[in-house]
Amino acid sequence: MIEFSVRTSVGWQAQFAAYVLALTLGFATSALLIAASGASVSEGFGALYEGAFGSREAILQSLVAATPLIFTGLATVIAFRAEIWSIGQEGQMFAGAMSGYWISLYLGGVSALVAIPMILIAAMAGGAALGGFCGWLKTRFQVNEIISTVMLNYVIVYLLSYLLAGGPWTEEGTTSYQQTPVFADNFHLPLIVSDVKLHIGFLLALAAAVICWVILKKTPLGFEIRALGFNPTALRFKGVNVTRTVLIVMCLSGALSALAGVSEIFGVNYRLRGDVLVGLGFTGIIVGMIGGLNPIGAVVAALFFGALANGSLYMSVLSDIPPSLVPAMQGILLLFFLSASVLVRFSVQFRRPTNV
Amino acid sequence: MSELLSPDILMSILIAAMGVATVILLAALGELVTERAGIWNMGVEGTMLTGCLIAYFTMVATGSPVIAALAAMAAGLAAGLLIGFMTVALRVDHFVTGLGFNLLASGLTLFWFRSYVGGSKPPSYSTIGKTPIPVLSDIPVIGPILFDQHLLTYAAILSVPFIGYFLRRTTLGLETRAAGENPQFLEAKGLSVSTRQYGALLFGSALTALGGAFLMLAFADQFRPDISGGRGWLAIVAVIAGNWRPVRTMIAVMVFAVLDSVAVHAQGLGVDIPYQFFLMLPYAASILLLVMIGSRSGQPAKLGVPFLKH
Repeated sequence: MIEFSVRTSVGWQAQFAAYVLALTLGFATSALLIAASGASVSEGFGALYEGAFGSREAILQSLVAATPLIFTGLATVIAFRAEIWSIGQEGQMFAGAMSGYWISLYLGGVSALVAIPMILIAAMAGGAALGGFCGWLKTRFQVNEIISTVMLNYVIVYLLSYLLAGGPWTEEGTTSYQQTPVFADNFHLPLIVSDVKLHIGFLLALAAAVICWVILKKTPLGFEIRALGFNPTALRFKGVNVTRTVLIVMCLSGALSALAGVSEIFGVNYRLRGDVLVGLGFTGIIVGMIGGLNPIGAVVAALFFGALANGSLYMSVLSDIPPSLVPAMQGILLLFFLSASVLVRFSVQFRRPTNV
Repeated sequence: MSELLSPDILMSILIAAMGVATVILLAALGELVTERAGIWNMGVEGTMLTGCLIAYFTMVATGSPVIAALAAMAAGLAAGLLIGFMTVALRVDHFVTGLGFNLLASGLTLFWFRSYVGGSKPPSYSTIGKTPIPVLSDIPVIGPILFDQHLLTYAAILSVPFIGYFLRRTTLGLETRAAGENPQFLEAKGLSVSTRQYGALLFGSALTALGGAFLMLAFADQFRPDISGGRGWLAIVAVIAGNWRPVRTMIAVMVFAVLDSVAVHAQGLGVDIPYQFFLMLPYAASILLLVMIGSRSGQPAKLGVPFLKH
């Protein structure tokens, strides 16, 4: 008789096998998807690759696209490590962009050296407040964090829609575009490379990944976060204030998501509008999970999915395949990855049937 | 604000609310049965969205709402099978599975819809009509609200007592609940836990997709991305707020449905308050409802706990 049992820990070989399995099956399924839509698979993937890595500009542009995903991916890592299933990255990113914009209205002509840090801090505070609110609902009222974060995602998007279309942030003379006027130069995130909009947000994202790695691996808080996911009861007996840890995790996750909003709005678009942010939070969930809930893994996954997103624009110009192939591929890769990482943990044992 | 309270508008809000309620109620009843079997299915939103798209495609191709609904339910079965494979067979965390499935469904439906439409205008159809019940629909006030609705609305409301009866009085219903309360006991009696969990998931997902089909066919004449707009999540909240009981779940569904309907009417009336605040209402209310209703006494003991033999 064949029996399946689950090993609790697996070596890097098994983890590697899971990635190979998931990537192979994921790309095969995506190829089927392209073929089913009537387009050429080789042309599609060729254009995707060309658009993502084909030239110096393409590669730099891929880094630009990866920047917000690193932030929302890290936000996912911090929360999911603690087994807090927050999917509020999307809303917290909006909240961050909105808080950053709000403070910028009071900064007038101050120098970028003052303005940019103020915007970053205000944004992080906004994202942390929204995340922390869901943490409070969870610890105080036992409101499931999945539910509260999903619902607040909707609420915050409608709030921005009001502010930009009819509300106080509406651009003079128009409500239909739902955007603010272009920001003054002192609010633009400084560029690292001048011909492509690769801005300091990318460096900040890498720094954030290192900080998250240090927090998780080297600090008492990191131990608490990992233990919260592993065994909250034991943590309570150890005398750790679990409520406090949950709140910190949710605030931290919210602040990281908020930086994704700042980096897109103040680094790339130079005006506040909702449509350029849509989906970056949800993709961050995929990035965090496929990154193995590890900060460095999340950076690698973000670079991969950033490149895909960037390449998809080029692909849609060259072929009939719509850029929405990428969200579909992301979902497919995620489910294969989740299944594969469990499958490699199964150990198959051959045993004689025993009488029950 | 006072326009909303005029008798005509109030009637119109309640009549429309019964339609919205049908969508959420079908999904909520499906999720209720699924959760009673121990599966915390968070993939309701994605399943509903899949149901919407398949119903749209089928309706455009065949023009038959019945075939469209059946096709959507078949897609729901496929969704339930996938979620079941991951949660029951592979024992992936239920929350992670559901979140993953929603992301998959949102990406796949978007891609499929976009590549189907190409650059042209999406095809549309005329929405399905209502079926008034003779005599009863002539009763003032109650008639138009309760007895001049779609067939599926009557069916959804009637299925509330049926689901209650199924879970309380039938062998299969009791076994389904045992899978969520005490799976070891079920296994000790030689009955398979996974069969019952698969069954509940298939039933629940088909019902959810049917809700999606109804949303598509009765309220919209063409698909648009994310058309389900959080109604699958509201169904999950309704189950929790209803303390895993069918009738209470239906009451929670009605709260969301009325607010949803108010939001739609407020947009058309040109009320002073910006319409976006009305659109927030169902989502904000769902959090408030969970804060106010503290009781989780009806939650199945092994809800969301992957079952391991031995």
